[in-house]
Amino acid sequence: MTFVVTDACIRCKYTDCVTVCPVDCFYEGAAMLVIDPEACIDCGNCIPECPADAIVRDFDADAAPWLALNAHYAAIWPNITDRKAPPADADAHKSETGKFARYFGEISK
Amino acid sequence: MSALRTEKVLSVHHWSEQLFSFTTTRDPGFRYESGHFVMLGINDNDGGRPLLRAYSIASPAHADALEFLSIKVADGALTSRLQRIAPGQDLLVSSKPVGTLVVRDVRPGRTLYLLATGTGLAPFLAIVQDPETYEKFERVVVVHGVRKAADLAFADLLDQGLKRDPWLGEAVTRKLLYYPTVTREPYRNSGRIPDLLRSGKLFADLGLPPLDPAHDRAMICGSPAMLRDTAALLTERGLAISPGCGEPGDFVIERAFAER
Repeated sequence: MTFVVTDACIRCKYTDCVTVCPVDCFYEGAAMLVIDPEACIDCGNCIPECPADAIVRDFDADAAPWLALNAHYAAIWPNITDRKAPPADADAHKSETGKFARYFGEISK
Repeated sequence: MSALRTEKVLSVHHWSEQLFSFTTTRDPGFRYESGHFVMLGINDNDGGRPLLRAYSIASPAHADALEFLSIKVADGALTSRLQRIAPGQDLLVSSKPVGTLVVRDVRPGRTLYLLATGTGLAPFLAIVQDPETYEKFERVVVVHGVRKAADLAFADLLDQGLKRDPWLGEAVTRKLLYYPTVTREPYRNSGRIPDLLRSGKLFADLGLPPLDPAHDRAMICGSPAMLRDTAALLTERGLAISPGCGEPGDFVIERAFAER
């Protein structure tokens, strides 16, 4: 099992999760972070850290599509090991839904 | 993966058929807080990725050596090999210690309950050997639940040994209580930790008042069932869980556990 970042991360990227990860398994794209499912040890430290509640368990009901996305981009995007300042308008996008369809393609261009 | 350091095994102690502990050298540049865990393991023979699992550090933050407590899993990829280690061998230790079981994330109070099953005792061994714990709490209670009495690792240290520590002995003698409990054979204390808390037997046996959210604090580390039931009971009695690292609560829990 692994933890998975969902589209709730998009345009938020608070990166609090990165600080508490014992295996540095977060990877950063322009739009969001993802977790390398091969490296995640399932410790659960990151879950309560996320202000956007973007991290779920891989067996949660809505996790499946995000698991595939996490695995795919973890192999492509660079590793992020230190917390960084979120986008200035992160809070405005915190509880927004449907962010993947609206922003992912655009931001990742 | 965070960077790995190579440390040398200094000593190995086999407590029972289920449990063993070992100490390693500690790189002077390696800093952690008492209660933290790291990834620990060995280089795989195949030359592939190193074989690593999460282990709580059982030695306090100021210790010269690192100490770890491990179960022996017959078919466990790592512990089947780890239990055969000997002094002088190399072990890999990750350089990013983290974890929720830190006294810093527990609100001030009178009594700190350290509730563990099995190898979940490890982070609390660090915490009871850290002077900061005794500065913050009037009383510290270690409750260790195991199946068989032989699995009560470090019982002598917790019962008597720490009282003789030249540095900590005075505070330990005044403040530390040790309550071992065994579930699968006769012993002077028996029963699961959540049951002992719920019935009040633990408090009666120790001569302590019943749980009070105004004064009692707790840290929990152990099997998923014990963790779930104990956290539920504490919540029911009005204690608030720490929302996350760096945000204090009345109690904290460890979610990472070796060899799942």
